[in-house]
Amino acid sequence: MDLLDLIDAVQSVADGVLFGSTYALLGIGFTLIFGVMHKINLSYAAASIGAAYGSLLLLSGFTAAPAIVVFMAAALCGGVIGALVYFIGFKFIPVANPLATLMSTVGLLLLIDEIIVHTTEGVPLAYPALYSDVVVRFGQFMLRGDLMFVFVLGCACMVLFLLLLYRTRLGIATRAVSQQPIASQLCGISILQVNVLTFVVTGMLGGIAGAMSGAAIGMLSPLLAQPLTVKGLIVTVIGGLGSIPGAIIAGLIVGGLESLFQFLRGVTERDLYIMMLLFAFLVFRPGGIFAKASGRD
Amino acid sequence: MDFYLGLAQVIGVHTLLGLSAYCVLLTGQVSLAQAAFFAVGAYVAAILTVIFKWHLFAALGVSAVVSGLTACAVGFPALRVKGLMLVVATLAFGEAVRLFFFNFTYQIQAGELKIGPHGAEGFRQIRYFPEHGWSTFDVLVFIWLMVAMVMACLWWLDQSRAGAVMRAVGEDEVAAHSSGINVTAVKVSAMTIGGVIAGIGGGIFAHYTTHIEHVQFGVILATFAIAYPILGGLSNVFGTLLAVIFIQGFLIEGLRFLGDWRNLLFGALIVLAMNLRPRGFLDSGGVASLKRMLFARKESSGA
Amino acid sequence: MLDLQGIAKHFGGVHAVDGVDLTVKRGEILGLIGPNGSGKSTIVNLVSGLFPLTSGRILFDGDDISDLPSHARVGLGIARTFQNIRLFGQLSVWQNLWVAQNSRLQRQEIFFKRWFGGSAGVQAEIERTLEFFDLAHKRDELAANLSFGEQRRLEFARAISARPSLLLLDEPAAGMNAEEVDQLDARIRKMRDDGFTVLLIEHHVELVMSVADRIAVLNFGRKIAEGSPAAVQDDVAVREAYLGTR
Repeated sequence: MDLLDLIDAVQSVADGVLFGSTYALLGIGFTLIFGVMHKINLSYAAASIGAAYGSLLLLSGFTAAPAIVVFMAAALCGGVIGALVYFIGFKFIPVANPLATLMSTVGLLLLIDEIIVHTTEGVPLAYPALYSDVVVRFGQFMLRGDLMFVFVLGCACMVLFLLLLYRTRLGIATRAVSQQPIASQLCGISILQVNVLTFVVTGMLGGIAGAMSGAAIGMLSPLLAQPLTVKGLIVTVIGGLGSIPGAIIAGLIVGGLESLFQFLRGVTERDLYIMMLLFAFLVFRPGGIFAKASGRD
Repeated sequence: MDFYLGLAQVIGVHTLLGLSAYCVLLTGQVSLAQAAFFAVGAYVAAILTVIFKWHLFAALGVSAVVSGLTACAVGFPALRVKGLMLVVATLAFGEAVRLFFFNFTYQIQAGELKIGPHGAEGFRQIRYFPEHGWSTFDVLVFIWLMVAMVMACLWWLDQSRAGAVMRAVGEDEVAAHSSGINVTAVKVSAMTIGGVIAGIGGGIFAHYTTHIEHVQFGVILATFAIAYPILGGLSNVFGTLLAVIFIQGFLIEGLRFLGDWRNLLFGALIVLAMNLRPRGFLDSGGVASLKRMLFARKESSGA
Repeated sequence: MLDLQGIAKHFGGVHAVDGVDLTVKRGEILGLIGPNGSGKSTIVNLVSGLFPLTSGRILFDGDDISDLPSHARVGLGIARTFQNIRLFGQLSVWQNLWVAQNSRLQRQEIFFKRWFGGSAGVQAEIERTLEFFDLAHKRDELAANLSFGEQRRLEFARAISARPSLLLLDEPAAGMNAEEVDQLDARIRKMRDDGFTVLLIEHHVELVMSVADRIAVLNFGRKIAEGSPAAVQDDVAVREAYLGTR
């Protein structure tokens, strides 16, 4: 590979890492639900795309809405959808029955997908991208403005989220419930409140992630839900189920590697290598990057 | 009439898919890889009959074995992955298999045509049934004979000690291990049997649809595979059969008049079902009440 | 029969078991007592194979079983009960015993019969066990629907079903009233009379003092005393462990 190719390769990795912040947010969402409720929410990525659609719907009257408002609208929709998902798909199913919850999230995935297809009649919608005409150059490298914005936004969300988790009462309550649900109740923590708020917060993160995907690609389509679900889950597992720093780092890594594989081997084989990466992790390090230390059990 | 025959074929093959997931679910493993084993069975059987001109039964036998071996190979690393992570791992495996067939081309010249799997285009012209004079009805009978055989085998398994051992592993691995059960052997065996069943189903599927492509074997089919036994209830094989009949027959075909809306209904119905009956339709409670209903009627008519 | 040589188990910085030598003689009932956190349950988990050893060796009838998986140890004749009952709730009482039959008696049967058939011998064996534990009338009941006392008995019965020579009982008297403890006492004695060797982990001091031939005392993962019940009761170190020093 000559120098030009090398530069192109690094360029694609850089682009990938920037986009990887989307995967990181999705990974945080999946991993947090798993950490608090010990269930997987398969409908999460679909809900994120749904929230992005929702933001378009909300602001459909305002043709010249600044993009930042669109993102906030997506976050808002995400939060609402998140709460709905909790009440319809999680609240009333017995805790001891993870199969039933899994199935209900599958149902929600199909439902959200179909609602999107119905209301848009299957036509992809354009999504506003911010700073898409801005390009920053470093010699041979260039960083796309829209990707950089997505990345910075993603990082800002992650920082805010970590602050929420580690510096607020809600954060402590969430962590307590994930470790000892019954004892937490005895300490006066309302499980219902914590669960709802967990879904709302992850829903908001998801909404922003959905908006970010739309902005990076330039348009929204219901077809996005499936690959985002698979990638999001892969990121979650590689990062370690239940580990938030793991999800963040894994998200960026997967984003970068995905782009690199695409550059090296083309789009059709790209995903195959991501799968192989996942399998490598499952064989050599099933706990993920940040495997939880083994306890007495 | 042909329409209903076709529907019955679909129900039969999907029952095999569901039963393959049922077998694995008994041991507590939630596998989204059954669609992948199904795909392997489909491609292998089709290649054998179309390219190598094998007899269907022999081709199905080989596809069953190949799918079984694939499942066995998956079964071992699956042991290292706990609980819900297995869902993700098998989902990724399924996607990897689908991507493999997306890229897989193996064609030979046959007269003017090229036949064989052709990457994204899929595998066309799987014309064993028409070429050998099987009518739709013949195929239907064949499918349901296979379904009956598999259900009988699984039913018998359920009544035997092996079945109780599988369910014990599914309930509490630690207790099973401490009771002298070789949990590894049980889980891998269940996965293998599931693979064999899926392989048979896939092989038959390829032949009655005559055209298979990678898209058909994706995440949606994988979720359908586990949906059948979960919705139907894990206490016996008939639950899975009922779930397939309900979903494929009633929901997808019967509600055709609802047009596009029935897809919406499908997702909503799953959510509703899981909220109302988390253990599935024919769980042990359902079977008990069914028995009461049937036997109560007997008593009242005899009295 | 069972020889624990310098066994230790560390969980990160916690030394749950810290170098314990213990021998259980064939045909005896050895009681293992100690304050909470002294490592009693950990020892059961180490012997039954649930936890791997950090160091040391476990010998059973002279063979080193330290690296054998749990189910293989059951095959050799070591069975255990769980302190917090771990039954197969969705299986019937009869099925719970049936799945645990996988050991000596069954290994004599050929593969097919063991898994798919069912000989009269095995059926009779299970019936006898059900009778002994007073559970025959509940044979078709789901284990999850039994009362707490019945569940405890089933847990015990399931361990016996494996036809072990060594029985590890992990706090079997927990949560029992006086009458139930007396019944348990009688059952353990009957076990010993029938030729079983028993390692009994218990908090219920009266039961242990009554039924055990010898007693070992643990504290902070180490053995601090060993001997006859009377000797142990008088031991100063034991008093200090339970009551503290003055």
